[in-house]
Amino acid sequence: MSTAGTVLGVGSITSQFQRETPLHPAARAFLEDAFDRGWADPTKIHGQSRQAAILLNGAKEIFAAHLGIRSDQVEFLADPTSGFHLGTSGLLQESSQFFYSAVDRSEIFAIAESRGGAKIKVDLDGSIDYPEGRPIDLLAWQTINGETGIIATHPQNFAGRLFVDATASGADISLPENWNTALWNSRAWEGPAGIGIFAVADKAIWRNPLPHIDQRISSSEFSIPLVMASAIALEAHTRDYAEKRGALSILNNRIRNFLNAEIGDVDIAGSSTTTVPYLLSFSLLYIDAERLVNQLDRLNISVDSGSACSSANMEPSHVLAAMGLLTHGNVRMRLHNQTSTENVESFLSKLKTIVEDLRK
Amino acid sequence: MELNCLGMRCPIPIIQLAQAIKTNPEVILLSDDPATLPDLSAWSRMTKHQYSIVGRNMYLVKRL
Repeated sequence: MSTAGTVLGVGSITSQFQRETPLHPAARAFLEDAFDRGWADPTKIHGQSRQAAILLNGAKEIFAAHLGIRSDQVEFLADPTSGFHLGTSGLLQESSQFFYSAVDRSEIFAIAESRGGAKIKVDLDGSIDYPEGRPIDLLAWQTINGETGIIATHPQNFAGRLFVDATASGADISLPENWNTALWNSRAWEGPAGIGIFAVADKAIWRNPLPHIDQRISSSEFSIPLVMASAIALEAHTRDYAEKRGALSILNNRIRNFLNAEIGDVDIAGSSTTTVPYLLSFSLLYIDAERLVNQLDRLNISVDSGSACSSANMEPSHVLAAMGLLTHGNVRMRLHNQTSTENVESFLSKLKTIVEDLRK
Repeated sequence: MELNCLGMRCPIPIIQLAQAIKTNPEVILLSDDPATLPDLSAWSRMTKHQYSIVGRNMYLVKRL
């Protein structure tokens, strides 16, 4: 147990506000057992394989219950990002128009780049005016935006097919009734990386865009122990979040109010009623984000940024630019289920000092 | 007044612009940073200014 304690003890998660989370302790505690029991090939018929198959089916039941799909619709992807291609290209026909929004993920932009598509504008408040579309058209729809936390309105009036990108929201936002394909990433619920969940509502209108010789959606091998750990993490994370949701909303509001009242010249994405409580993005006028992130890091506080100076390609976040939000001085935060009032108050007072210093 | 910020990275062009516009009702900003256009738009909204694109990497900025 000392190993787990050491890993979890590194920089204690509670003072961290970056996007990633370590594996949920409940899933971590289960991993050794999972590797003992889930190593065999579940498609074979000997005893160990039958046990692996039973475990896998159990995991499918958990995912189905939390994600609002049937257990026979659950597909595991060892490469979660391949789900963007499976989910969109599998629904597109030659004459389909592909609609996507200016705040979608770069994987969606790449698909639009290769086959053509119509990019939908996004307003300053994050609202998107979805088209009606024809039955043959496809819309890529994000449940929430992973950078700003803004919750998308349901595209109820869209007449075409719907790919749901739930990679940022996890099980937090339920599927719209008219979904056709959907994708989740295990990391959204403190699960292990490298596990994606993909689902097709009705296989009659979906064609596998990958080379294939049988009915399987993906032939890539995934880790059964990690799938089981992800299912445990999903259950535990959902339980924690149900308990902490109200407290996180209060903390999110506290940060928004402090930024406006105590720091000023700040551009905050969305409002507390249009965003999920666990994500927050704001941009500080006249601040170099790289210096801000570094100074916070020196005080053991980690945040992310969508500013150009802190990105690998020196381009500002396309999400901020598309919404018309300030792109420099950007800070992105995740409030984890373990984040406390003390963590937030300590962050705010340090942020104020650093910003005052940098603006001099 | 012309403000040459070519080759400077964000947020320096916007910081220098904010200084320059205090003493000049109109500023021609030269900037080739990819963040300048989106940031000019956001800065203008936040601080009550207006801007227009008048050439390649060239913007006319006024107080509102």
